[in-house]
Amino acid sequence: MNNYSHFQVKDWLDDPAFQRWVYHGEQDAFWKEFIPNHPGQQANIEQARELLLAIRGELDALPDSEVKLRVSEILNAIPDEQRRALPWWKSNWLKMAAMLLLALGIVTALFREKENLRNLQTFVAGLGDGDKPQLSEIYNETNAIQLVNLPDGSSVILKKHARISYPAAFAPDRREVTLRGEAFFEVVKNPEQPFFVYAGSMVTKVKGTSFSIKANDDDDDVELVVKTGVVEVSALESEGKKEVRAGKKLILKPNEQVTFNRKSLNMVTKTVQKPVLLNLPAESQNFEFRRTPLAEVFAELEKTYGIRIQVDARAIAHCTLTARLGDEPVHEKLDLICAVVNARYETQGNAVIVASDGCE
Amino acid sequence: MKNSERSPETYLITRWQQFCAGDKSAFGELTELNYAALYHYGTRFTPDRDLIKDCLQDLFLEIWEKRETLSYIAAIKPYLFQSLRNNLIRRIRRQSVFSDIHDDDVQDDLSPESDWIIQETDQLTSHRLKQAIDALPKRQKEALYLKYYENLSYEEIATVMGLQRQAVANYLQYGIQKLREYWQHATIFLALCSEIAWH
Repeated sequence: MNNYSHFQVKDWLDDPAFQRWVYHGEQDAFWKEFIPNHPGQQANIEQARELLLAIRGELDALPDSEVKLRVSEILNAIPDEQRRALPWWKSNWLKMAAMLLLALGIVTALFREKENLRNLQTFVAGLGDGDKPQLSEIYNETNAIQLVNLPDGSSVILKKHARISYPAAFAPDRREVTLRGEAFFEVVKNPEQPFFVYAGSMVTKVKGTSFSIKANDDDDDVELVVKTGVVEVSALESEGKKEVRAGKKLILKPNEQVTFNRKSLNMVTKTVQKPVLLNLPAESQNFEFRRTPLAEVFAELEKTYGIRIQVDARAIAHCTLTARLGDEPVHEKLDLICAVVNARYETQGNAVIVASDGCE
Repeated sequence: MKNSERSPETYLITRWQQFCAGDKSAFGELTELNYAALYHYGTRFTPDRDLIKDCLQDLFLEIWEKRETLSYIAAIKPYLFQSLRNNLIRRIRRQSVFSDIHDDDVQDDLSPESDWIIQETDQLTSHRLKQAIDALPKRQKEALYLKYYENLSYEEIATVMGLQRQAVANYLQYGIQKLREYWQHATIFLALCSEIAWH
């Protein structure tokens, strides 16, 4: 061991073993014994320790589980290579199957609950071969919210009478959807393939964020508020066209709201306390969990997205989750949760079936 | 101690070379090993946690994209720190163009997250010392953080911060000196307080 008796404060600061003890608690036993046995050094040690702590400052708690989640997000965001298995909602052969399932789901739903008769209506336009991209339109006729999973995995929560249309597969360089009515978006991050929402004569461009849009046909204004990330809003030359009018562009950040006049194309921004435009749970939900029982986490997801999660309550009785899930689309949230608690899931229509080996 | 530090170092370099050759699991491991340190370093620049995570994702995706051109890099950590620093500063500047007025609101937006911050700062750490470090110029604070908490060498800090080595040395020396002055004031102050309390 070093001869510490002549150490000055500066020497303590620069001593690697001492640093590791202060910052990481390494060799705690050694130092706990050393300090009382070296009374002449106590003042220096205390000063050096406080200086080191002040230099570090406060650090966020960043649990390993969250790091793992972030890393898996990054790995998932890597453009697909042949070798890699596609997530189910992206894979090609499943697209047709998904369509079929959706149709089947509707039929089943019709039989199961009479109320559901008017609940879900899906118009699948342009099925079959054709030069035009196949557009799907989903219209929520219910009073409840309805979750739509887009082909890229992004989530859209439609309020009643909202309508969204999107291609069966997005173009490689852009993801484009058209919205009428009120909806909340959680967009999968992909800077290479920006995401566009056309609503009236307003177009919104994002790379991966969450935000709400209110675009009712009868209103003069289209409104948008940003929950997370950065959103770019522009005016179109005319409704239905895709040319953006020069100079009519705004960048919005979290908690900023824009009111866009359909006729004048004027945009007025303001800052709001909370990014709540549609009174949806998703707008105010932060998805922060600290040792939260998994059953509660699932209950939150059910409420937020209007889905049903089926899981054996006994199997997950001991599972808890510590994570900040943020603004990922619902499937990414499920992927991450399942990765952490060692479970698998599949979706059938609006139901998610989770299988877990349990946590001990 | 030195020896045990060296072997993880060579291991990391091996993994880096594998990553440059297109090994995705090596990439995942390097990302995981460096994520927390980079994230904490990011919090030195902005309270906007989402922005930091965004920049980190961009950073790692970017190095994955250009992995084939990165095999010359031997000092991995300084390289990552430098890249994050550049990205983050660029993004913060770009944002602030649009948000001169709203800076405070972004802070407000983060308040729910403050629950996540461990109030681990020792009770013993005097309030004065915190004030002292807050009073230091940003770059001095940053240099101190990199030197002591991240254990980077003068040369590495110079690379990360885009400075001359001598400038780093000056920053560090001046910073420590300032902090110690405050500490001495604080000790006298505390001693006085306890004196008063005793009587």
